[in-house]
Amino acid sequence: MRDRSKEIATLIALLIPISFVGIGGYLQEVMGYVLLFVIQGYVAWFLYFRSGQPFFGYSVTMAIGAYGTIVMTVQYQWPILVSMLVGAVLASLVSVGMFFATSRARGFYVTIASFLLAILFPKLMEAMYQITGGRSGLYFGGLEDWTGRNVLYIIIVLMAAIIVGAIFVLMRTKTGAILTLISENDDLTQTVGINTFKYKALSYVIAGFISGLGGGLYVNYTGFISSVDVDVFTTVYIFFIPLLGGRSVCYGPLIGALVVILAPELAAPVERYLLIILGVIFILVAVLLPAGVGPSLENLFRKIFRKSEKKVVAVMGRGEISL
Amino acid sequence: MAEPILTVSGLVAGYGRISAIKHIDFQAYNGEIVGVAGPNGAGKTTLLETIAGTIDPKAGQITYLGKRIDRLSVMARRKMGILLVPQDSYLFPVMSVKKNLDISGLLNTKVENKKFLEYVHDLFPILKERKKQIASTLSGGQQKTLAVGMGIIANAKVMLIDEPSIGLAPKLVTKLFENLRQLKEDTGKALVLAEQNVKVFDIADRIFGLEAGEIQFSSKTADLGEEVVKELFLGK
Amino acid sequence: MIINGIITGLIMGGILSLPVLGVALVYGITGIPNFGIGVIGTLGGFIIWSLTPYNLPLAVFIGVGICFPIGYFLQTILLTPISVKGGDSTLFMIITISIGFVFEGLIRVSFPRAIISIDFPRLGSITIGGITAEGFKFIALFFGIGVLVAMRLLEQHTKAGLSLQATSQNLKLATLIGINTKRVFSVAHGIGCCLTCIGAIFWGALYNLTVTTGWYLAFTGFIIAVVGGIGNIWGGMISALVMGMVMSFSGYLLGGTWQSVILYAIVILVLIIAPRGILGSERSL
Repeated sequence: MRDRSKEIATLIALLIPISFVGIGGYLQEVMGYVLLFVIQGYVAWFLYFRSGQPFFGYSVTMAIGAYGTIVMTVQYQWPILVSMLVGAVLASLVSVGMFFATSRARGFYVTIASFLLAILFPKLMEAMYQITGGRSGLYFGGLEDWTGRNVLYIIIVLMAAIIVGAIFVLMRTKTGAILTLISENDDLTQTVGINTFKYKALSYVIAGFISGLGGGLYVNYTGFISSVDVDVFTTVYIFFIPLLGGRSVCYGPLIGALVVILAPELAAPVERYLLIILGVIFILVAVLLPAGVGPSLENLFRKIFRKSEKKVVAVMGRGEISL
Repeated sequence: MAEPILTVSGLVAGYGRISAIKHIDFQAYNGEIVGVAGPNGAGKTTLLETIAGTIDPKAGQITYLGKRIDRLSVMARRKMGILLVPQDSYLFPVMSVKKNLDISGLLNTKVENKKFLEYVHDLFPILKERKKQIASTLSGGQQKTLAVGMGIIANAKVMLIDEPSIGLAPKLVTKLFENLRQLKEDTGKALVLAEQNVKVFDIADRIFGLEAGEIQFSSKTADLGEEVVKELFLGK
Repeated sequence: MIINGIITGLIMGGILSLPVLGVALVYGITGIPNFGIGVIGTLGGFIIWSLTPYNLPLAVFIGVGICFPIGYFLQTILLTPISVKGGDSTLFMIITISIGFVFEGLIRVSFPRAIISIDFPRLGSITIGGITAEGFKFIALFFGIGVLVAMRLLEQHTKAGLSLQATSQNLKLATLIGINTKRVFSVAHGIGCCLTCIGAIFWGALYNLTVTTGWYLAFTGFIIAVVGGIGNIWGGMISALVMGMVMSFSGYLLGGTWQSVILYAIVILVLIIAPRGILGSERSL
């Protein structure tokens, strides 16, 4: 549901965390991570759910951006912003490369290939430990050395809002409309005369770039990266963000990121059982709330306030379960 | 005239909001071939699949051997004796002819299977010759005979066959239909054939004309005139 | 040196062929890729380890045996209903990974010591045909092959096996013929979990068993099955042996960390060049 007002509301919500600068401490820290993963979540939302591309390697593009930034800054003494840019470009090259390589195959193959890439990548980073620091990882001061923690945090908040806003704007352009058509029926869109290959490639480039950029921001915020940080489960979590939060609504990834990042934190008292609980929640949401938490909450509010009879339904996309 | 073994009344079924068949009233009798004739898209497959149980009806009743079966699962109806030979994908492609036949007899006893296999081999000698051949390597016509053979071994009382003649050369169609007629006479089963092919009139005892999801006419074949046949297949 | 590499590779491949078969069986019959199956098998392995001091054969029996109902009911209660409603492969990927999380959590809660090694009676070195290796490794290899052969025979010559084949080749027709395909699904899943558990046992006996092993067995099992052609049992077996050797040699030549990299890189390449696997597949991915 691309209600303009909802999009604006989402962007405003994304900017709220700026106020946490005053409060600082734990809340600010966590919100930083939430926003960094909001970015990744919107990448998945954009590429997988809105453009219909079965890509599953978000941890890879994020990692390339992160590793690119830190390796080039630390090992080769490049300026940070340049490293971040290069990292983002590399990430988009890899993602579009995956697209070209798998373009002859269909559906699940592409997902598996990119999933395997996500498994492979951290091992690759481990194997190249002389450059990447392997499991022990690399440290660096990053942007924080210049700007200090708080300004870095504000930069992240702003970047998140800008990126998400840019994605919203993109989806409203002709390109966005075409991508939506492609996600609903690629073949049919081709028969109308549209070069879907071009547009799909473009979506991979954009997604890879944003993800890589987000990875660059991530590594600046943490000051550290190791192969353990970008294992295959990261890509699963990233994929869960729009899936859990609401794949067909514009605020879905926002809710999803809050849930995925905050849940483990809030569940600290039952930490022993965390994995079990998390697994069960994921299963329940995937099965019972196919539209995601967001739309279900929205419907709940509608029922309570009885504003209108409109019900949010999971959009029947590629093989999604309909309500 | 005996009671019909299978009765369908007021049946409505389809995919999603669209009803592919509406207000269907239909009967099949033991020892008779019933033809469900109609052009492409008339709803023949939907009707057969609803009777077999792979599609749930939206309204109406299906009665078989005096019992209502429209709420039963495919497996339950199969055990009661209804079998559907689908229009495509009617074989296990990687298995041999023999295995395909064996597996159709899963619900039978060994003795029964032996008896049926002999009958199938008599009716379709080619299946005996080629029993070790992989099903997907058979010719179109041979595959069809295998599908019918499988249906015979499955020993259903009512065989629903969806467009058996599709993709076959005219000579093969005639032969196949002859075999079906002989099957009916030898075993006294009720055969329901959904067909686009006009030739079905040659072997059907009873015809239901289906067009745009509704029965346009039903009659014993003997009573039908040429005009009706023409209209049905060439359009009004 | 090279002979050693081949032996290690064959043994590794032989052991891996069990989870490969487990994953391939489940995927081939039900169409569901269960990435959590390795963790389930590992849970079985841990249970066996904890019971070993009492009675080894009984422990193995219980551990493997418990995997069957886990797989059976997982399929019956959760996976088949979703399948009927129309879930797609990606949804199942997510769900089965989450199932893996749940079982990983169960293992961590029940067994605080997360690395174990199962103690089987050691047989000392055995020399077969001029090749010397530890006795137990040979047993593992032969047992693995034996299980696969047994499975293939059962599949071809029993009624149940025939039903299994039919279900995987043409689900709709199998249902129409009267095969209880839902039960076939559940049984297949149960067997798949048992096979993976046996693989985990061997792994635990020869190396170490941790939760990560569970994920590793499932992922590796799946990709090896894909390379060999999903649903193709001999393909999976050969693929496992070949991959085992690839891993072994890349381990020797390039060092342990590159082992997995090479493996996954090869698989990605195969997926890109020959999506149906090297030996073709009875069921498309």
